[in-house]
Amino acid sequence: MRIRITDQSTRAALATALFSLAIGTPPLAAQDVAIRNATIITITNGDIQNGTIVVRNGKISAVGQNVSIPVGIRVIDGTGTFVMPGIIDAHSHAALENGINEGAESVTPEVQVQLKNDDPVIYRALAGGVTAANLLHGSANTIGGQARVIKMRWGMPADSMYFKGAYRIVKFALGENVTRASSTTPADEKRFPATRMGVDFTLHYWFEKAKEYDKEWQDYRAGVKTNPNLIMPRRDLRLEALTEILHGDLKVHAHSYRQDEILMLIRAADDLGFKISTFQHVLEGYKVADEIRQHGASASTFADMWAYKVEAWDAIPYNMALMTERGVLVSVNSDSDERIRRLYQEAGVGVRYGNMPVNEALKMITLNPAKQLGVDKMVGSLEVGKDGDIAVFSAHPFSPNTMVDYTIVDGKVLFDRSQSTTLRKLVTTANPGGAP
Amino acid sequence: MIRTVRTLSVALLVPAALAAQASPGKDTTYLIRGGTVVTGTGERLPNTDILVRAGRIAQVGPNISAPQARVIDAKGKFIYPGMIDANTGIGLQEIGGVQTMSLRSEVGQFNPHIRALVALNVESEILGVTRMNGVTSVVTTPTGGTISGQAALINTAGWTWEDLAVARNAGTVFNLPGAGGGRGRGGGGGGRGAAPATAATMAELEAFMRAAKDYATQRDAGSAKLDLIYESMRPLFKKDVPALIPANTEAQIRQAIDFGEKWGLRTVVIGGREAWKVRQVLAQKNVPVVLGPVQAAPEDNQPYDEIYAQPAILNEAGVKFAFSTGNGANARHVPFHAALAIGYGLPEDVALKALTIWPAEIFGAQKEIGSIAQGKLANFFIASGDPFDLRTQIDGIFIKGRDVPDDDRQHRLWDKYKNRPKAVITP
Repeated sequence: MRIRITDQSTRAALATALFSLAIGTPPLAAQDVAIRNATIITITNGDIQNGTIVVRNGKISAVGQNVSIPVGIRVIDGTGTFVMPGIIDAHSHAALENGINEGAESVTPEVQVQLKNDDPVIYRALAGGVTAANLLHGSANTIGGQARVIKMRWGMPADSMYFKGAYRIVKFALGENVTRASSTTPADEKRFPATRMGVDFTLHYWFEKAKEYDKEWQDYRAGVKTNPNLIMPRRDLRLEALTEILHGDLKVHAHSYRQDEILMLIRAADDLGFKISTFQHVLEGYKVADEIRQHGASASTFADMWAYKVEAWDAIPYNMALMTERGVLVSVNSDSDERIRRLYQEAGVGVRYGNMPVNEALKMITLNPAKQLGVDKMVGSLEVGKDGDIAVFSAHPFSPNTMVDYTIVDGKVLFDRSQSTTLRKLVTTANPGGAP
Repeated sequence: MIRTVRTLSVALLVPAALAAQASPGKDTTYLIRGGTVVTGTGERLPNTDILVRAGRIAQVGPNISAPQARVIDAKGKFIYPGMIDANTGIGLQEIGGVQTMSLRSEVGQFNPHIRALVALNVESEILGVTRMNGVTSVVTTPTGGTISGQAALINTAGWTWEDLAVARNAGTVFNLPGAGGGRGRGGGGGGRGAAPATAATMAELEAFMRAAKDYATQRDAGSAKLDLIYESMRPLFKKDVPALIPANTEAQIRQAIDFGEKWGLRTVVIGGREAWKVRQVLAQKNVPVVLGPVQAAPEDNQPYDEIYAQPAILNEAGVKFAFSTGNGANARHVPFHAALAIGYGLPEDVALKALTIWPAEIFGAQKEIGSIAQGKLANFFIASGDPFDLRTQIDGIFIKGRDVPDDDRQHRLWDKYKNRPKAVITP
């Protein structure tokens, strides 16, 4: 059992919400909230000094300097604070049940990760201003399983957390992980492919099969109209998922490091007739940024992880800035239950190294990942009509004296620092002065 | 000089003859003129000059006259003492996944005689990357066994390991039996993982300590033959060097303190994830803590901000501490670890101390490094603002009085591919 002291306030709020439902009060009233007198980082329309933002029925209803706040709604005094869109993590493995890799075979697009909705990482991500995440399959397979894009609706049932309207995403992987080059786990026996050469072939082999399969079905569907006695082809869930990739219904997020493998996948996709939606990690993306942009792919990278393995030896923190300068859409992701708590710092690394414009760097954790997950019509910037997904920082997110005061999802305040169990509260009550 | 010329964009007032003589290897006299000097010991001195001569800070003050010096105009800039990462593997490990590039753990249980210093790879690419964010010194610790060996406090630029050295023996690492390290989710740092099954028992360690102590007593009396292993323990019993003891849980920290007291050692707790629970004891007994990464997540049953907020709580209780990454590759991020602590309540000037003068004191190198003061090594950096703010740009780095060029691996790759001609794609 996990005892969590961190979520008491949320549980209380949830209990209240459930109680309201039970007695028939529409819970919508509780979703109306305004933050006033704050610096509002809209992402798409510049920063607003002394601004006000109003969320009604879960959507942003007004944002600007001269905005009237409807009577009776909750008002947060944002004096001194910086309000920005809820942070979006384009690569996480948090909150997943029983493993993230179906590693028995190297091609498994038919499987999907399973959400574990009570993982405290969700709460802790909220405490870092994160409101949505792309929960990806692991990188053990050339073609791995399907992801879940979620909103951090802490306290809600799993199926209420799925981000409706988001892309359906499948994980690809290249390089050391998929070839098990450095694996010492006995269960990870060598299998094909064990080289980058084999990965290239695996892609061609399976997509040629998928194209045949697709044609069989198209022929059947066309033929059965005139010949009702045609025999239906045997359904194959794996090949079916691959055809969805070919048709663009299942978007490819490809784990990649080195420029050779990035270019290999682009050319394989060109040859086979599908698109890479987003390169994940893409540590050497700065070397082939033109090729990535020309293919139409985007990039989701680490701020600054390098030297932990050979294929991460040429990773540089200027990757974000260089790819952006070359016209690639870039996000910065966590891939970690630790970094997801401070993605704002990771984005700021792009300013320290490479001197990215501040709001361009903030885009890497808001609008750009929203585009990569297919949810930019709903989130990623503070605009009227978009979802009320908001992070309130006590100072600019790149300044040192900052922390998250509130995180709001669909207009619901799901993290309120003043109501949370903090170390400060703990030491002043339970342990004043420290044990002797 | 590449970096300084480019980024300070100020004409250097250098006589041509002197400029020709200058090279990173030679001791040049520099005058850093007109910046705001943040000393690291609490002062902020506006419009202040720093005179650098023979690798050291010769003078700090207004309107210094030095006709022979290369002048660097730092007006509008800030000069900070070089920062220190108080626990890394730099120089002993390069690429994490490659075993032959990670020789940090010796075979055997009791290795107080092995030294990190003499095995440091001076050409480590990590040194170059580390210094470019203003981290001018790091502590490199050996790991493994029960007594791992001797740590070294080094600068992040130099010609040989002798040139790198600030404190050749910065302390001896002890992994107390049964202590393990315990790790928070996402890496709690320090004393990673439980001790292996082959670890020595506490009784074996006690027996070793008893024999070492007896040896030291006899040796002091001139009555024992030289024993290299026990000999290496003598500076510990004299408290010339600290005992560096990884300990994260409350029980482990108490065990470390008790062990140090029992054997008369100068204990430094490494990791200290739950140091806040024993802060009164740490303060009373003057036991400092080299904090594990602040960029870490707590155990599931702890407040979400436990690790971010702990430095502020320790400071208020009077505990001396230093920041560390516990890592090699990302040692340069140590100011960003401190930034999280500032966000959660640590005053900024204290955060700077915990990156400069406090680690210098903990490792006995406060006469050499840790602040901008006359007589110390000229280890500092010039920046557009404070190093904790991610928007700040680092404009110049001095280590031992040398203006370090930005020629590290990552700058080289950046420069190369920034200048790649637009790709002409012919599929």
